[in-house]
Amino acid sequence: MLEIKNLHVEVEGEGTEILKGVNLTINKGEIHAIMGPNGSGKSTLAKIVAGHPEYEVTKGDIIYNGESILELDPDERSHAGLFLAFQYPVEVPGVTNNTLLRESYNTIAASRGREELDPLEFDDYIREKLELVDMKADFLERSVNTGFSGGEKKRNEIFQMAVLEPALALLDETDSGLDIDALRIVADGINKLHHEENSVVLITHYQRLLNYIIPDHVHVMIGGKVVKSGGKELALELEEKGYDWLESLATVNGEAK
Amino acid sequence: MSETKALESMIGEEYKYGFTTDVEYEDFPSGINEDIVRLISEKKNEPEWMTEFRLKAYRAWTEMEEPSWFNATYEKPKFDKLQYYSAPKNKPKLNSLDEVDPKIRETYEKLGIPLEEQKMLAGVAVDAVFDSVSIFTTFKEKLAEAGVIFCSISEAIQDHPELVKKYMGSVVPARDNFYAALNSAVFSDGSFCYVPKDTICPMELSTYFRINNMNSGQFERTLIIAEENSHVSYLEGCTAPMYDENQLHAAVVELIAMDNAEIKYSTIQNWYSGNEDGKGGIFNFVTKRGACRGDNSKISWTQLETGSAVTLKYPSVILQGDNSVGEFYSVAVTNKRQQADTGTKMIHLGKNTKSTIISKGISAGKSDNSYRGEVKISKKADNARNYSQCDSMLIGQTCGAHTFPYIESANPTGKVEHEATTSRVGEDQIFYLQQRGLSEDDAISLIVNGFCKEVLKELPMEFAVEANKLLGIKLEGSVG
Amino acid sequence: MAHPTRIEPSILHKLAKHLPENGSARWTNVRQKSMQQLNSTQFPHKKIEEWRFTDLRPISRTEFTHINDAGTYKASDIEKYFIPESDRSRLVFINGRYNETYSSIGGLGKGVTVGNLSRFPDDENVLEYLNNLVNYDDVFTLFNGLMFEDGAYIHLKEGAKAEAPIQVLNLYTGSEKPFIANPRMLVVAEEDSDVTIIEDHIGLEENSYMTIPVSEVKVKQRAHIHHVRIQRDNENAFHISRPIAYVEKNSEYHSYTITLGAKLTRNEPRVVQEDEEVDFTLDGLVLIDGEQVADTHSVMDHRFSHANSHQLHKVVVNGKAHSIFNGKIFVRRDAQKIDSFQENRNLLLSYDGLVNAKPQLEIFADDVLCSHGATVGQLDPEEVFYLQSRGMTEEKAKEVLTYAFALETIENVKVDSVHKLLIDEVYRYTKANSNPKVTA
Ligand SMILES: Nc1ncnc2c1ncn2[C@@H]1O[C@H](COP(=O)(O)OP(=O)(O)OP(=O)(O)O)[C@@H](O)[C@H]1O
Ligand SMILES: [Mg+2]
Repeated sequence: MLEIKNLHVEVEGEGTEILKGVNLTINKGEIHAIMGPNGSGKSTLAKIVAGHPEYEVTKGDIIYNGESILELDPDERSHAGLFLAFQYPVEVPGVTNNTLLRESYNTIAASRGREELDPLEFDDYIREKLELVDMKADFLERSVNTGFSGGEKKRNEIFQMAVLEPALALLDETDSGLDIDALRIVADGINKLHHEENSVVLITHYQRLLNYIIPDHVHVMIGGKVVKSGGKELALELEEKGYDWLESLATVNGEAK
Repeated sequence: MSETKALESMIGEEYKYGFTTDVEYEDFPSGINEDIVRLISEKKNEPEWMTEFRLKAYRAWTEMEEPSWFNATYEKPKFDKLQYYSAPKNKPKLNSLDEVDPKIRETYEKLGIPLEEQKMLAGVAVDAVFDSVSIFTTFKEKLAEAGVIFCSISEAIQDHPELVKKYMGSVVPARDNFYAALNSAVFSDGSFCYVPKDTICPMELSTYFRINNMNSGQFERTLIIAEENSHVSYLEGCTAPMYDENQLHAAVVELIAMDNAEIKYSTIQNWYSGNEDGKGGIFNFVTKRGACRGDNSKISWTQLETGSAVTLKYPSVILQGDNSVGEFYSVAVTNKRQQADTGTKMIHLGKNTKSTIISKGISAGKSDNSYRGEVKISKKADNARNYSQCDSMLIGQTCGAHTFPYIESANPTGKVEHEATTSRVGEDQIFYLQQRGLSEDDAISLIVNGFCKEVLKELPMEFAVEANKLLGIKLEGSVG
Repeated sequence: MAHPTRIEPSILHKLAKHLPENGSARWTNVRQKSMQQLNSTQFPHKKIEEWRFTDLRPISRTEFTHINDAGTYKASDIEKYFIPESDRSRLVFINGRYNETYSSIGGLGKGVTVGNLSRFPDDENVLEYLNNLVNYDDVFTLFNGLMFEDGAYIHLKEGAKAEAPIQVLNLYTGSEKPFIANPRMLVVAEEDSDVTIIEDHIGLEENSYMTIPVSEVKVKQRAHIHHVRIQRDNENAFHISRPIAYVEKNSEYHSYTITLGAKLTRNEPRVVQEDEEVDFTLDGLVLIDGEQVADTHSVMDHRFSHANSHQLHKVVVNGKAHSIFNGKIFVRRDAQKIDSFQENRNLLLSYDGLVNAKPQLEIFADDVLCSHGATVGQLDPEEVFYLQSRGMTEEKAKEVLTYAFALETIENVKVDSVHKLLIDEVYRYTKANSNPKVTA
């Protein structure tokens, strides 16, 4: 479904390289977890897959459903089924969740040749999804993320994911900032949304989330590279040992971090 | 169809009202002098006092200087080249719609104005002003049943001289300012509305203004009087064809609200704004003022200003009656080389008077957008309150946003609060919305709509949809 | 013989006999240029937007006399105005003329030059900057340019840190006739230097005079200046000041102006950004009553990216006093990432007082965060009530709240004795002006 090949990424116009040859393959129906120390490039990877204009791919490719998506605009990638839950969800004052989601849903539906929903149908549809993440209907009429608490923003991201039903969801630290109950609710929601036709990438610092959502693969990113991959036990090992023992792997090729 | 779909369908339409209508005109020699003023008055068969009113205004005008204190630069109109009266040749006084020149009717149809009876269902009474002359007022009868007078100002001068004589110039005196003086001397037509005591006007009143003739200035005059305990809502829409020359639009609008009366005045101004290089477009120099004469009266101005090459316009409220309320809700969008200097004045004279100002300025392209507002709390206005919020949004690197609020308070129990911010459409916001599937233009349009929300919700339903469309078209492709 | 000298260009020639001649050729040049410009400059009036709210007739109706002919009295008992921290870093000017006896300039350590300008007529900095930083073009500034005889000069070498705050004390004596004083100040802080300046203007008696202090400040890269300006002219005085600062890369300039005195004050502080990454403050506190008029017209001119700027301008008006505030924030085309905040808060205590406020934003760059706020009103009735419910009389509650309102602006003054002095001034004002008659 998604294949990242030797991806090198720089900050647009600045020349600082952040990703230094990432390789990653995600198949349909799989759940992957990406872990790694702060600043190792996890968010950058997620953003570049979603097409963030701040970064520039200098080498390598991102293949999605068999085709390179490097030339696609962020909205085109979204239409193709890519979803990014932001580590820092953006506030959009004056635009309500409801308006945004109806616009999004209908544009995405149109691009996939599906029926658009009229406001009443959409209302029914969206209320069902609210339950999935146990969110109050008030949130629909509030401006997107504006004045939301940290945890509410995260929950709102999963709510949007539930509404848009992406084929590949990249969830960047969605667990950070959630209280214990919320974590369980959000995790349950993600599990319910997951099936054999879609894939999920969890970026996280905590093994805890992986108790709820069992990944098929765990990857460790250090210094802009995936330095180790394994099964779900890798997460436990990291929890115990930290990242130190892997630091050396970041420089195996003689390249400094 | 979704909101953004509606926007999408408008894409590429640029200025869709830029066509001209081919009708024969009864023209005056260009230029202005006392004879021309007399001739206008004569042509309209006006009573002596009206002719006097005009002449006095003309004389005052000749002694006034064209103002230059605002934040705009443009080539001054050549007053001696202008045509001060221009009317389609067919006789202007009509008895039924069928008598309107078909070409003009076609124009209004293109503009989507509900000039036809079938639109009665929409509940909007329309007065259409084509160049300088009022073409037809619909629903006169239905309104008459309720006791509401809604007609062209020329008719009002003939049929209700006592009202016109009493109120015209009472809010905007002829020598108020340069353009008001000129208007008072040469105004050709406009709308008149009188809502009697204890009457809720049964429908929205509406006027569409259209400048068609290339060299004519348009000088309409609107007068609305709401007697005790009455209520009226009035809508105004404006379009003009595209010419390389600038055209002058210098209107005067006077509103009078008596005890417990309420007037709501909404405008969508979309005159032609000139081309990419700033050639052509309308000079929109308008004096709009309302007087809350009675206690507990209320005047509310809502405007969406998207057109014109240069706009100088400050719809104001004089809060005379105790507990009276003034409101100003404005969205001004400038793009290309447009210059808008707009805002309001709230003059608090009565006790416990209240005013609210919400202004949203959006600048794109190479335009300049200024908010200029004045809030004055006079010595006697105990417990007067004003709240102003003026936000500007800049799109791109070559435009300007300016905020000039003037505050004066002479009463220690009064309270004035003014806030202003400047921001931009953030790249991270655009990316976020694009990630959710919206195109860049839709994302901007959504953000801008969100930015203007507080104002747009004040517009009557009929205008709200049009307003959304206009905003989208206006900012099309302004980022990137 | 008396020389009637209103500062109108037409009668300026009458001053010719008194034109100062000291300084270098450069000074003569400044005076000549000022004279030329003065001849073609209009005396301001209310039709000019920038002077719309300020009535200058009290100035134009006063028959000013050259200071030599004004019959000035001797200044006495002035030690009480000395601040202890500046015991050995004090410049004293009386009616705009340097007074060596009272000045004391030994204690500033290496790399700091302090003195009167006329002692350094050919100093390279004086040659380079004197009158070149001024960008005002009104008659008052030009008049100073024509008539100044001396001024304060403060220079800090690269890396120099002044060991003590420098007090620049401007005293105005009593006189038989109204006169005009033309103080000047030039401050050049080289790279990485640091200095605190306390500029104080004091009217010693009740006579009428006008002072036109013009000060030029250059803050070079990474330098810091803390500039406190106190205006305590007498109630018959006119105070027209023009302080301007230019801030270079990574520098900081923080200025606090406290306006207490004068019949009419027109203060026009300006800060001009000369490079990226700067931080500046332009705070003001105005406490006026009686028939005082205090007018502040400020400019914060952002010309490059990355600036942080703040302006808190607080005003309390009582009696028949009139306050005017006009604060401009400019953000020029290429100045991105500007974070600028301006707040003007006015407390109007009386029915005869008047407040005019005109904060302005002029923004030509899109990636900026600029905001301003202005409020005019009385004390919050809720707060008054709260204090009353805690046992205070209404009068006392208002006094306390007014005091607290005013105090915010001087909190950042970091010289202890000056901070204390200002607290005392605020206290004196609020005590005298807590008026129980105006109720919520
Ligand atoms: N726009 C940018 N400009 C400069 N540096 C950037 C930019 N974006 C990211 N970086 C740098 O790239 C590195 C990777 O950042 P990224 O946000 O991808 O880390 P992360 O692995 O998600 O960290 P965390 O676990 O703290 O979220 C960091 O050192 C960061 O500072
Ligand atoms: Mg991250």
